[in-house]
Amino acid sequence: MANKSGNLYGLTTFIPIKRTAQYGTVNGQSRSSKVRELLQEWSLHPNDESPMAKVPNTYLCRFYVLNDVYYQGSPAKEDHLKSKYLIFSSNFYGKLKPYLKGMWDNAQEQLKEVLQHCVAFEEVNSSDDFVKYIKRCQVKTTFLFNGSTDDPLDEQLKALYLKQAFTHFVFDHHNLINKGKAAELQQAFKAFVDKAQPDQPIPTWSPGWEAEPERFEENYRF
Amino acid sequence: MPETLDLYDIQGNIVKAYGRYSFRQSRYVFYSVTDGAKGRVFIKELLVKFGITNAAPWEVSDPPKPIDQDNIPDATTNIAFTYSGLQHLGLPQKSLQSFPQEFAMGMKARRDILGDDGPSAPQHWDHIWNDDLSVDIFLSINGQSPEALAQRYQGICNILKDERVEGGVLQLDGHAGPNSSTLAYQDAAVLSVRGEHFGYADGISEPYFEGCGTNPIKVIGGGKPTRKDPYTIAGWEPLETGEFILGYRDESQEYPKAPVPKLLSFNGSFMVYRKLHENVASFQHYIEEMGKDYPGGKEALAAKFVGRWRNGAPLALFPTESEANAFISELIDVRDRYYQAYKDKAASTEALRKEYDKLRLKLVGFNFNHDIDGGRCPYGSHTRRINPRGALEFGQTDAFETPGALTNRRRLLRRGLPYGKTERNDGGNHGIIFMALCASLERQFEFVQQQWVNYGNDFKLASERDPILGNHGQTPDGKSTGRMVIEAPKDGDQPPFICAGIKRFVETRGGEYFFIPSITAVRMIAEGIIDPT
Repeated sequence: MANKSGNLYGLTTFIPIKRTAQYGTVNGQSRSSKVRELLQEWSLHPNDESPMAKVPNTYLCRFYVLNDVYYQGSPAKEDHLKSKYLIFSSNFYGKLKPYLKGMWDNAQEQLKEVLQHCVAFEEVNSSDDFVKYIKRCQVKTTFLFNGSTDDPLDEQLKALYLKQAFTHFVFDHHNLINKGKAAELQQAFKAFVDKAQPDQPIPTWSPGWEAEPERFEENYRF
Repeated sequence: MPETLDLYDIQGNIVKAYGRYSFRQSRYVFYSVTDGAKGRVFIKELLVKFGITNAAPWEVSDPPKPIDQDNIPDATTNIAFTYSGLQHLGLPQKSLQSFPQEFAMGMKARRDILGDDGPSAPQHWDHIWNDDLSVDIFLSINGQSPEALAQRYQGICNILKDERVEGGVLQLDGHAGPNSSTLAYQDAAVLSVRGEHFGYADGISEPYFEGCGTNPIKVIGGGKPTRKDPYTIAGWEPLETGEFILGYRDESQEYPKAPVPKLLSFNGSFMVYRKLHENVASFQHYIEEMGKDYPGGKEALAAKFVGRWRNGAPLALFPTESEANAFISELIDVRDRYYQAYKDKAASTEALRKEYDKLRLKLVGFNFNHDIDGGRCPYGSHTRRINPRGALEFGQTDAFETPGALTNRRRLLRRGLPYGKTERNDGGNHGIIFMALCASLERQFEFVQQQWVNYGNDFKLASERDPILGNHGQTPDGKSTGRMVIEAPKDGDQPPFICAGIKRFVETRGGEYFFIPSITAVRMIAEGIIDPT
């Protein structure tokens, strides 16, 4: 299994979190707890406010803290990780390096807040450093499944937008369709095309939108 | 590789007992949550304003220091929840259903198992436990001084007046206080003579477990027994963390049963809270009357009841009163000299510390292998019941793979303090706020209470109960039926001494089971983001 499937890249990284014994705490909180708290704060907000929504071509990603490995019970041998890890996994379109640069350029501030608690992150000062850093923490992805159309995110979002808009259009104009009023239907469809701009990047779905925006349906009543 | 515990995520008083860090007074406050959203704001505000005190060691900065005062806060704050509390704070059903049954039922519903009958029956408990409002949140404040405690308490009371909280979290009244008063909190404090109201030194031995971070020498007497010399480190091994803290391997070599998701239970524990009234007059009267006939007198009888002399010296190592007294005097003397040397920055500090540590081992570093027949420390004495230290092999070496086979899964971390003033009467307001921490209330606390305190079969004592704690009954005409047979020294020709008519010296006045989440889980409960799916 590889990190790539078509244009999809499956990135898996294990980023070691600074250990209390070596690096101390953040105001009496271990760094792994702090990282978890920061990540949980992200998830208190809607998806489209997530810093990762700003990163181009992210299909789906997750951050979580891995405390340790599970112990399966006697007679299994008990193993422990040497440190706790921030796991970052992402499915995105395209190549790794430009993706990571996009991450750095667009979400730097919030990423730093979290990653400052990870080992050696203080050495990261540029997008190139960031690429190097993440690559060092990368492990090979297994069982990568490409659940998308393999197109760039912008194209996929536009396609989603069009589908949704067109669905509303169809149901709103069911009378014209059912009664065979072709001329009127054509007029309405032209108005739809003018509004939805199929060949243009905008209007489109925003990355991270969890639900249809309010009044979206009304926009396609002509 | 041993596991490292994130002591900064575990609540304080689980791993480090505050009582050992000069916190001389505590206040326990209970709340009912009538509005989940407001309840969650209350917890959030607590976290923001005072934080929850964690378990990271205070003495670490300077190991030879007796106690690093600079490192210790003036006051501590800790929090725990009942099942109904978690319900009222909006925990998802799936998480609620994953809690152990005894916790969900609560202490009152478990009264038959706990032996809370007669004067200990729930209808005689303090009003707070019989109120229409459910007890949902437990908050404990420990203070270095009464002022520090009062200040923290006031700060917390102020949160209740915050408009985002007001009306949704109610502080519960109804703790019986002195002179038939009723208070909105339960106070407890170290007595001027350290110990409890019957006059015994208390809280001497403490389970030692993997990762607890305290001085490794404390494994002696605190860990689980091996077959080596109990006065040495080889004689003991640390108990598994999972006996006390959820999410870690326990003595059965698996993870303890714990609620889901794992983040809710990880680094958490369960707590027993019990208000135990002490009938001081009845106890002292009994000891004095029976002591008249007992060889060695009333102090010796008092020691046989507990397995330790009232000054704390264990019978297993100090069979006579004079030996016990000499030992304790020496211990105090060395301790005082060590503390003084530390203050004076004297060169002798380290040597004195070692001497003190070594002497202290005589309080805890023993087992009953030389006392199989109970001639020194009776089978039925309080401490031999609660912590049999391998005595359940009854001298049959290698009966089990390890001498602690029947005891290692029944250990409890005991916390809590006396309440009230010591007065020689039965009716006054005095006793102990008993708190015990463990991973399984049923397997650890309830078992000990049912089988070892209120029953004697495991010790070959039929239905004899713990002389001090047992729920001794009465005949219809009011005669107390508690009894104890004190085995005579092995090689003499004395007959055993028979104690009959033992009264119920300790009565339950209230209590409940609580879940103590990790600090991460407290925060997640406050955010309402516990997600078991």
